[in-house]
Amino acid sequence: MTKRILPVLAGLALVAGLFVALSSPPDVLQGDFVRILYIHVANAWLAFLAFGVTAAASIGWLVTRRAGYDRVAASSAEIGVLFTAVTLFTGMIWGKPIWGTFWDWGDARMASTALMFFVYLGYLALRRATPDRVARARRSAILGVIAVVQVPLVYFSVVLWRTLHQGLTIRPDSVQMEPEMLTALLVNVGAFSVLYLALLVARVRLARLEEAMEVHEEAPAGSAVTAPRLETGP
Amino acid sequence: MSRFWRQALGVAKRDLLVEGRAGEGIGIVLPFGALAIFVVPLATSGSASLLADLAAPVYWLVTLLFGMQLALRQTATETVPQRRLLVLLGLDPVARFVGRTLSASLLLLGLQLVLIPLVILFYEPEPVPAPVRILPALVLYSVGLAMLGTLAGDLTVGLRTRTALAPMLAAPLAVPLVMGASQSLISVSQGDGILTWTLLLVATDLALAVAGVVTARPLEETAT
Repeated sequence: MTKRILPVLAGLALVAGLFVALSSPPDVLQGDFVRILYIHVANAWLAFLAFGVTAAASIGWLVTRRAGYDRVAASSAEIGVLFTAVTLFTGMIWGKPIWGTFWDWGDARMASTALMFFVYLGYLALRRATPDRVARARRSAILGVIAVVQVPLVYFSVVLWRTLHQGLTIRPDSVQMEPEMLTALLVNVGAFSVLYLALLVARVRLARLEEAMEVHEEAPAGSAVTAPRLETGP
Repeated sequence: MSRFWRQALGVAKRDLLVEGRAGEGIGIVLPFGALAIFVVPLATSGSASLLADLAAPVYWLVTLLFGMQLALRQTATETVPQRRLLVLLGLDPVARFVGRTLSASLLLLGLQLVLIPLVILFYEPEPVPAPVRILPALVLYSVGLAMLGTLAGDLTVGLRTRTALAPMLAAPLAVPLVMGASQSLISVSQGDGILTWTLLLVATDLALAVAGVVTARPLEETAT
């Protein structure tokens, strides 16, 4: 049931997100380019969430050794890498008209996000390189816990290093954004959250099938054939 | 001396002894790093000002890449039966992590100290910082890189793709170390204070030490 409803919900939410993003007012300084914000920021937040889920599920695996946690951790990391790639790409196409450059090496947020991307690419590479299921789960769980340190570093990089990126716009004590823009942003964050959930459920299901296939392939030849019973029981 | 430190020093001593006999770091990685420093100017126009500008980036790139090679050297990697034996002998996995970090730190510091004169000789950077003032940054950088190399090595032990995978895991996490050490060098050259960058190096080293201690036992299971 969930596997059918969630993709439909995600599609509807994304259409709603697109509508509010296009109908929100243009920025005084940035004009229509500000609309990239609704995808860029939503993807960045979802990437943080995805890597947070990876870390939590990794801890879950280390404590309980249940395969389900490993599947969630790996699936969430894959989706997080996808969201981070979209964040980097949209940031670059936003940066060119506004800052005059696709990439600024002095900007701490850009550099730290790219590093986070590479750390999680390494996480995925480690999983691919480890054939044994339990060893793969253990190694990636350890890396999943270590790698999550990058998330607060990326988030607070604009506070720690005052560079090209603006500071935190939305804080517990103040929001430096027009209400219509904030609504559009929150709708898009919600839409991408549903998309994340739909992708996670689908990827976890796929991971379960992949594992079942691995187990099937590992079974020795002829193990499915049972010997004929020559005697009948009493 | 406590049992823990006896074990840690024993591991470090053994690693250095094996390195001394095999010469993997001193005989192979170090000359290879020196060659890299020598090759870069051949790919440029040879302009003195360009080479002076390239000195620091080339130095940090070479110390990072070849430092990882040094930390992940084959002679410091036990086979699965050797690891099982160490577990049976009661070797504390944290002591093993500390010992391995100690030996790799010494080798990494040696690599850096050998490469600095080569960079000065071939690239002629101006101004050259006083060696005594940059030593704390180099030591903290070496210790951090050694811990990272040890962690990455343990995460990838026994994998076919280890030689490529371990540096890939470690390099992005080494960036705060490279930043701290390189900015310290720049600050010293310009006569500025290095407190902020030293703190960054200390914080990164502490975070890596905590990660190493916490993950030592699960990583031991991985290797055995």
